[in-house]
Amino acid sequence: MADSRDAVALSFAESWGRLVAGLIGWCGDWDLAEECAAEAFAAAVPVWERDGVPDAPLAWLTTVARNRARDRMRRRTTEEAKITLAVADASEEVAAVDEEDIPDDRLRLIFTCCHPALPMPARVALTLRTLGGLTPAEIGRAFLVTEQTMEKRLVRARGKIRNAGIPYRVPPPELWSERVEGVLAVLYLMFNEGYAASSGEALLRVDVSAEAIRLTRSLVDLLPGEPEVRGLLALMLLTDARRPARVRDGHVVPLAEQDRSRWDLDLITDGARLLDAEPPWGPYAVQARIALCHDVAVQPDDTDWVAIAELYTLLPATAVTELNRAVAVSMAHGPEAALPLVESLADDLADYYLYAATLADLYARVGRRPDAVTALETAIRQAPTGAERRLLRERRDALLSCLDG
Amino acid sequence: MKYVLLHAVDESRLEDPLPVDLDVELDAWIEEMVARGVELDGARLARSSDATTVRVVDRHTTVTDGPFAETKEQVAGYDVIECDDLDAAVAVASAHPTTRIGSIEVRAFDAGMPDPEVPEKAAEGKRRYLMLVCADMRRAMAAEAAAPPADQAPSPDLHDAPDQPDEGDDEIDRWIADAGARRLYGWPLDFPNRAVTVRRVDGRVVTTDGPFAETKEQIAGFDLLECTDLDDAIEVAAGHPVAEGGVLDIRPLLV
Repeated sequence: MADSRDAVALSFAESWGRLVAGLIGWCGDWDLAEECAAEAFAAAVPVWERDGVPDAPLAWLTTVARNRARDRMRRRTTEEAKITLAVADASEEVAAVDEEDIPDDRLRLIFTCCHPALPMPARVALTLRTLGGLTPAEIGRAFLVTEQTMEKRLVRARGKIRNAGIPYRVPPPELWSERVEGVLAVLYLMFNEGYAASSGEALLRVDVSAEAIRLTRSLVDLLPGEPEVRGLLALMLLTDARRPARVRDGHVVPLAEQDRSRWDLDLITDGARLLDAEPPWGPYAVQARIALCHDVAVQPDDTDWVAIAELYTLLPATAVTELNRAVAVSMAHGPEAALPLVESLADDLADYYLYAATLADLYARVGRRPDAVTALETAIRQAPTGAERRLLRERRDALLSCLDG
Repeated sequence: MKYVLLHAVDESRLEDPLPVDLDVELDAWIEEMVARGVELDGARLARSSDATTVRVVDRHTTVTDGPFAETKEQVAGYDVIECDDLDAAVAVASAHPTTRIGSIEVRAFDAGMPDPEVPEKAAEGKRRYLMLVCADMRRAMAAEAAAPPADQAPSPDLHDAPDQPDEGDDEIDRWIADAGARRLYGWPLDFPNRAVTVRRVDGRVVTTDGPFAETKEQIAGFDLLECTDLDDAIEVAAGHPVAEGGVLDIRPLLV
């Protein structure tokens, strides 16, 4: 019994995105597609638990969902619904659907969910809902908003797709690279949000990072010619590998102090395998390589900081990238070499807590402890979460006790 | 002369669909103005949350969600009217039911605008979008105020709005050619400092000087587009000379 329930759950995870994507392609109506997909799964649970999962679960689900959709469309009276029905009727007549005949529309779906004309939070929510199959309540919990708020966000997003005519398609060549970039940005944001939230208090939250990884994995299959998709997946896996050691007793543990025996070697191997050996590497691949440099160091002292500092020069030069590069330089060539680099970023990063924290670290290492304490005070004021503030306070108190002694 | 009426409404108070009495009044207004030959074109727009703005920075197109300015009142519809003068246009606006729920900005088009010819329905498989051409015109308005004598004020047009007064006309012509059949019509508007806004206070019509909202960027003109989908409209917008330095706000028409 438990086995068949697991099988149903597994089939859900695997089929939801393709089912919804196919239904939208079939009838053009996002709300209807989602409602009927959910109903098809609800109908499947008792039947599959009793009889086992069918050989072609997607075909089974598609058939049930299309029949439900057809019933609903017939009951509608508006002109628009009649048009939808006519379109759907023309393309499909019989009830039973062959698995091979169902096109994989997930690419169309993800490009539409990540369209730049939608607000970023809506892109993330829509992708998690329509491709990932998370419920509005689950997504709401992950982003600390109520189910109603999340439902409203989704309704508005689907409304905009319909009203503004956002196309349901894979973008043409002239839009290709920027739209792929847009999809990757949504997935990376999703991963990071989930990652940050995982250090928080709520255990109930759905694992959005895991969902981001799952979606990126399927994107790797759907877009085999895009090295940056693999780069992003590698970056996610190589970051996620450190998750078991990242939080201890509710505190974020800095990289250098993490228990490296708890890092997930399988994920590190998987991530490393995804990376191209030879340049050119896109920004995600470069960041993945940096993560890999950390992941393969058995002890913090083993870290190849020279390589990391070099890799940072391959990233688009933003102030934050420069700050990270400066940290690597300080590790490779000493804090004196890095201080001028960091100090030159003062104007750009005046409000960024990690700037002040980095400066404090360098001051401490060159023996300028009072300056370090002052910088830490700034960082504590600017830090966004309680966990980060706690960590910074501990550092400040340690420095103060050194000063007293 | 031709004028545009921009219907500005606080969307949080906008009911969907419109209350019946308002709807009836709206139909009556349209019927009368069409019969009088005043109304040339007009439509309701989708909510501003369905708007998409397009900018071009260093030849790179940026697409963002939402209207060009986050104001309390948003453009919810427009009418293009033909009237003898501003007073007549204000009278036409005053009779419109929008004054009961919001305000109407009355603005003249630049001279020479041909009559818009807009088929009642969009072509098969096409959608209509109103593209608001928005720019910061404060400098141009200040320059005009400082310079010429009143009797020969140059026709202010949107070509002068951003900092490219010389090749503006050529670029606009090139853009119009590129937009081709996707553009039904469009024309630049007079400066916003010469707009008149009509609203109703305690049941009485009140007219005030200037646009409905004091924003940095103001509507400098508009084009009615007929496109396959939003990406198609974005492409048209990105090619507009004002996209660099200004902003184009794409509003789906309510169907």
